[in-house]
Amino acid sequence: MRVWALLILVLLLSIVIGAAAGHDWMSPADLLRALAGDTDLRSRLLIDWRLPRVLAAAFVGALLGLGGTVFQGVFRNPLAEPYLLGSAGGAALGATVALLVPLTAPQSLVLPVLAFAGAWAATMLVIGISRVAGAVDAAGMLLAGVAVAAVLGALRSFLMLALSDETVSLQIVLSWVLGGVQTPTWPILCLLAAISAACLALTLMLAKRLDVLGLGETMAIAFGLNVNRFIAFAVLAGSVVVAAAVAFGGLVAFVGLASPHIARWLVGPLHRPLLPASALVGAIVVTVADTIARSALPPAEIPLGLVTAVAGGPFFILLLARRLRT
Amino acid sequence: MTGIAANNLLVRRNGATLLDGLSLSLGPTGSVAIIGPNGAGKSTLLKVLTGIDKPSAGTVRVGDRDLASLSNTQRASTIGYLPQYFEPHWDLSVAELVRLGADRSDRLAAGAIEAATEKFELTALGRRRWSTLSGGERARVLLAAVLVVDPPVLLADEPAASLDIRHRLDVIRALTRRPDRLSVVVVHDLDLAFTFFERVVVIDRGKVVADGPAKSLIDDRRIDEVFSVRFDRLKTPDGWLLRASTTNS
Repeated sequence: MRVWALLILVLLLSIVIGAAAGHDWMSPADLLRALAGDTDLRSRLLIDWRLPRVLAAAFVGALLGLGGTVFQGVFRNPLAEPYLLGSAGGAALGATVALLVPLTAPQSLVLPVLAFAGAWAATMLVIGISRVAGAVDAAGMLLAGVAVAAVLGALRSFLMLALSDETVSLQIVLSWVLGGVQTPTWPILCLLAAISAACLALTLMLAKRLDVLGLGETMAIAFGLNVNRFIAFAVLAGSVVVAAAVAFGGLVAFVGLASPHIARWLVGPLHRPLLPASALVGAIVVTVADTIARSALPPAEIPLGLVTAVAGGPFFILLLARRLRT
Repeated sequence: MTGIAANNLLVRRNGATLLDGLSLSLGPTGSVAIIGPNGAGKSTLLKVLTGIDKPSAGTVRVGDRDLASLSNTQRASTIGYLPQYFEPHWDLSVAELVRLGADRSDRLAAGAIEAATEKFELTALGRRRWSTLSGGERARVLLAAVLVVDPPVLLADEPAASLDIRHRLDVIRALTRRPDRLSVVVVHDLDLAFTFFERVVVIDRGKVVADGPAKSLIDDRRIDEVFSVRFDRLKTPDGWLLRASTTNS
């Protein structure tokens, strides 16, 4: 119980700090005033820009934590991460099209939709290929994922070279690929909140069977699990979660890999507590990282994925080393 | 009471024939040892009987029903399976593992988890994680997780092969002591097979070579042929000792 209280407290704290931080620092008192309905410029800035962005970062982190936990559970591999089955490559391709091809619809709408579609379609392609190749097991899917990711990466590089000119900068594509939470409007934020809640419910439905699968495929079948069908279903569910995260947050390195590990140290390996704990850890990590991304080098913004990788990598190694020594 | 019967099982993998038209009727109760040289098809047979592997041809009947017609839950709570190797991917605690075993049944008897925990002397180990357990403790946890639903059929694939002799005896006793259950155990140690089991089935190259009560089968020379050795059969007060020497033929 204390672990949960601690996680929620840390998340709230990082949201408050995130809302206060920026190239114009605000105090928690400003935040309270803004929440109370104050309408001066500082309060409007907080309510319309800071808070939605910080909350969106938290939800993206939560989705990555959920996605990472599902993929590590399905593939029973501690190195599995949510971008494993081509979703990163597919999302990046979709985003590249959205950013570089002049379309009539507004980019704020096209970008998340195409990123989601790309992530989802790439995962479907990976599953389809492993089906056709007759390798529906975890190893077959991983191999197909590597192959599809390579092809999609090449396609994206080609598109970037072919479509960029003086008017369209490659930099916006690059910075999207390196990860960055867009500031949503409040209705979009509510949509993201609803999606996140649905993803938590969806993945919690898998929890028990992920535990059984963790006993190994032979034992899982002996304990009554239809292993192949469950893996296919869990991968589908996991890729919806990841596609949603990618659509709103770009490619944020490392969070989906590390959050389940940190959560496992806190609440143990059973998936029913692990999934929400991993979502909380992911939310905290991305909220903090996004705060750093926005406020470390004002007025410029560092891509979020760079922050998570640079700060998170060594942090993760440190945790791992301490864990191994005890 | 639920017997299990294999009818003309054929299993082919990558051009190799693992089970070659094997038929065998077991149960509804009693203890059966399955013996045979490496690669005879013992593990494959157990996996097909459990429903883990599908046969290329042939059927398995459980009681009066076809194995393929059982739901996953029915199959999992009717047939308990103990694998040769078991290594969970996540470092679960003893209580969590037993719970996972119990949850596969939709009509678990009241107090079954506590009973199994007590029976296999795991009460004090409940919160310990798998990685911290000794080999003997692990074997007991696995037994508790598989037997907690009290399956009428138990299929065990040399679950004690890597244990020291005392723990191996404990496991074999735990597997065979219930007279109202059918226990089918793949055994490598022939002395244990002929001492602790009522019936012995000899398998070689995917077929049943010999099958009968342990007491009468012990003298069967086909055992020597199958294992390509010559056995000296030594009667001891509580069982048999088979001493092997390589034949010169």
